[in-house]
Amino acid sequence: MSITVTANDSEHYVVISIMGSFDFSLFNDFRAAYSDLPHAYSRYVIDMSMVEYLDSAALGMLLSMRNAIDATLPIELKGANDFIKNILMISRFDKRFDIQ
Amino acid sequence: MKLLCVDSELVYRDIISLYAEKEGIKVRCESSFDAAVRAFEEFIPDIVMLDVLLEDKDGFELVKVLKQASGSRFIPIICLASDTADAVMDKCFQYGADDFIPKPFSEVLLNIRLKTHMRHIALIKEMYRKNKALTYYQTMIEREHEMAHHVLDHIQTRSEKNSQHVAITRLSAASFNGDLALVKTRSDGARLVFVGDFTGHGLPASIGALPVMQVFFDAVDELVEMGELAERINRILLSILPDYMFCAGYLILMSKDGHLLYWGGGMPNALIRRSDASIDYLQSSHMPLGILPANEFEADLHSHYLNPGDTLIIVSDGVLELKNPQGDMLGDDKVERLITEAYANKDLILAQQKTERVLAEYRGDAAQLDDITLVALRSSFL
Repeated sequence: MSITVTANDSEHYVVISIMGSFDFSLFNDFRAAYSDLPHAYSRYVIDMSMVEYLDSAALGMLLSMRNAIDATLPIELKGANDFIKNILMISRFDKRFDIQ
Repeated sequence: MKLLCVDSELVYRDIISLYAEKEGIKVRCESSFDAAVRAFEEFIPDIVMLDVLLEDKDGFELVKVLKQASGSRFIPIICLASDTADAVMDKCFQYGADDFIPKPFSEVLLNIRLKTHMRHIALIKEMYRKNKALTYYQTMIEREHEMAHHVLDHIQTRSEKNSQHVAITRLSAASFNGDLALVKTRSDGARLVFVGDFTGHGLPASIGALPVMQVFFDAVDELVEMGELAERINRILLSILPDYMFCAGYLILMSKDGHLLYWGGGMPNALIRRSDASIDYLQSSHMPLGILPANEFEADLHSHYLNPGDTLIIVSDGVLELKNPQGDMLGDDKVERLITEAYANKDLILAQQKTERVLAEYRGDAAQLDDITLVALRSSFL
């Protein structure tokens, strides 16, 4: 499985880890990862440290998640490599996400 | 599941029927070559067990005939023989058998082999089914891409033709181009340019392209102010595209005197190759079009200039991420070097062709994963 979800209920945050290529093939799995959670968390972390490649469809999937989650709850994009971070910054995702 | 049992000995026909029927398999028994061939056609078994010693003709030959009659269907044939010499076994497989069981055999052995083959049959049936479904979807997607292609090509025909001032290259990835490049000269002589890159490929990209094209050409006719044009395109894409789709792009207005006014969102740097071979950049500083609601959208513009002899080159990320057969991406540095070299040519069309050639050489026989768009502009001011 290239997506794993780890919820930390005591600290009210959830980590969605993505491995390999973050692209259109993960469309349904990625949506399920945040929409099938039993309740809302105060913080969402997308761990991208194992992501090798990210395409524009993945950016769209992230925006979709941003729209689905209450705008006051932060979504962190964590651990992206320089190449991916550059893609995120070119599209100014810092306006909608915390890029770590 | 149906089993055809071909054996000249009644006792084995009975044993095999008994064991197989216990497993819920429907069995038909025959003892001769011709009857077996007929039964194969009428009974349509999923699996065959046959003794190579028949009453009338050669059992090995029967294996061959039944394998041929199977065509593209997978119907395992298990050979039975009392003669367990290697030569006999070998001959069975040479004639097309899938398995061999020496006689006499126990119920356990027969059950294990039958179950193994039944599992294979089930797997292969599932594979056929999935293959059929995949072929169906592939055909459907190809047809949709064809249609999307047609729509986009039509849009593109309204754009300005290549000349010494404008050169547009679009190379579709294996399937379909999600890139859009529009250039048109306004009545005041200024040239309006839109280079966009929609998320993903296929039909959705062309759906977004249609209204963008309309807004673009209206803006050419009505001399719409640039910030207003960016807002209009953003608004229309926001309203028609689902939230996971957007369009990165540059909107550029080049005045007759070479002054550049531009809005950029989500695009890699555009390059200005100066006539002295130095490079300047246009940077996109906004989120792509179709994401931010109107009240958050930033329509502020930036400016630059083109002197006579300078070339403005806008590339989509498909160019930067183009891979060679070793899987290495072309990257910013190589693109910059290529542009510095190619656009030294005073003839814009030749310079563009040279660039296309170098990109094709770099890619070699590697698959093109993303669409490629490369737009080059020169000032008509002399």
